Amino acid sequence: MEIPIIRDVLEESNLRAQENRALFDEHGVLVVNIMSSPGSGKTMLLQKTIPALKERGFSSAVIEGDITSTIDSERLQPLGIPVVQANTEPFGGDCHLGSHLVQAALKHLDLSAIDFLFIENIGNLVCPAEFYLGENRRVVVLSLPEGEDKPLKYPLMFRECDLCLLSKMDLAPHLEVDVELMKTNIRKTNGHIAVLPISAKTGEGLSEWIAWLLRARVGQS
Amino acid sequence: MHELYIAECIVKSVSKSLPQNLPTTSVTEVRVQVGQLDAVIPDTLIFVFDAIKRNSGLSNAKLNIDQIEVVCRCRGCSYEFGVELPLFLCPRCGGGDVEILRGRGIRLTGVTVQEAEEN
Repeated sequence: MEIPIIRDVLEESNLRAQENRALFDEHGVLVVNIMSSPGSGKTMLLQKTIPALKERGFSSAVIEGDITSTIDSERLQPLGIPVVQANTEPFGGDCHLGSHLVQAALKHLDLSAIDFLFIENIGNLVCPAEFYLGENRRVVVLSLPEGEDKPLKYPLMFRECDLCLLSKMDLAPHLEVDVELMKTNIRKTNGHIAVLPISAKTGEGLSEWIAWLLRARVGQS
Repeated sequence: MHELYIAECIVKSVSKSLPQNLPTTSVTEVRVQVGQLDAVIPDTLIFVFDAIKRNSGLSNAKLNIDQIEVVCRCRGCSYEFGVELPLFLCPRCGGGDVEILRGRGIRLTGVTVQEAEEN
């Protein structure tokens, strides 16, 4: 006997994400899910972003997603902000953060004391794009050494994000990468995505990135 | 690999959808639609589904995956077109402002259960 069913397989995951979102909205926190392949510079970006926001009077917290280790959390410790490590190893080593892990991490954060919450997702250009965590904005970091073809190979990621940060711009003179082609390929997958070249090392693009975050926060209320 | 997590979600969805009088062991087939954009590898999803089904009561179930091609509509000229991944560009006007109509998301569409009299 065939029984027809129509059910979103990810409904439980999305339900928890909606619960997360309700908490964020209640506390007026802007939540940014930062995704990329491993080694694109997500943690370094946060190391520069969080002090810049602090200078402007905004406080931040971070949920650090990794399969294993606390290396990234330790890198952020000197910033003196709340950092919660979310490892997936005890849950089968998933290569993306799930909304249930974010929900568990939120128990360790005082949302009323922060303005921005950054979720540093697990380094991977495929799986994290699939799962909504309750965030307000999605950002993909694509570093120049990764090459111009990556948006075309991982279209869902670029399709799902509001902003692409082209990172490690300081390396441009040393690489044969065609930055304009990279931007064209990004826009082929998503006509609406904003693209911002940035270098956490030299500070290029940092003020524009901060301005984007502040605009997102204004747009939220 | 997100297939393991998705397989676990499929198992949960089936358990929640079955009428109460039907045991999960009566399920012989689980049908899902998977959007092409979701980057799910069907063989991998079936492999992990088979690996976890024994402990979930669905030990008699075979997973049947229907892949759904990505179809978009151009917001500029309203043209509907099948997307040749990875390009989300309207083939008629060249515009990049396109909405996805189909081909994204994972949906449970039905199960087949072995009827009691057949036992």
